[in-house]
Amino acid sequence: MSALMVVILVVFAAAALLTVIRIVIGPSILDRAIASDVLLTLVMCVLGAEMVINQHTRTLPVLLIIAAVGVFGSIAVARFVARRDNVP
Amino acid sequence: MDVDALLDATALVLVLIGALLCLIAAIGLLRLRDVPTRLHAATKPQVLGLMLICTAIALSLRSWEVVAFLVPVVLIQLATAPLSAHMVGRQAYRNGTIDERALVADELRESRETPPAAGG
Repeated sequence: MSALMVVILVVFAAAALLTVIRIVIGPSILDRAIASDVLLTLVMCVLGAEMVINQHTRTLPVLLIIAAVGVFGSIAVARFVARRDNVP
Repeated sequence: MDVDALLDATALVLVLIGALLCLIAAIGLLRLRDVPTRLHAATKPQVLGLMLICTAIALSLRSWEVVAFLVPVVLIQLATAPLSAHMVGRQAYRNGTIDERALVADELRESRETPPAAGG
């Protein structure tokens, strides 16, 4: 089973790295908002995977709180973004 | 192989599928072209990946208290993921960060040119 855990962690790390690359190079602020939303979802998935692997329940409330308040980040960015921020 | 080991193995496979969904979303974020297509890639792990991971947690820990915690997590995520996607997509349309020629149907522009109140 240990090889499967290593594969899971490598896949999560690769996904996080690609998402951070999109946050860095994203041409508009909306791309960065989407990518940071995906990164937050990735954090939730990693917390859940760690609970599965280590067989504990300590991070369940963190999962609930992130699911509840994580949406406000991208909503705030999308609400207050300036019009045509990417026109040279 | 007894039932416990089988459930644990199933949980790990579900976690692996969720991790692969996250990887697919990250690749889609890098490869796709404009904001709505990237949004299409981004909403896959937000719902399906998280549901798979929550199923894996429930299978691995096997207690009803954990299920009672996980059901609100999935429900809240199901309710809020379309909300943020809608806000970002609408702002992308107004912002001009979409590829207009790639749109098959643009009902928002038609409805702006002939508002519903005008009888058109």
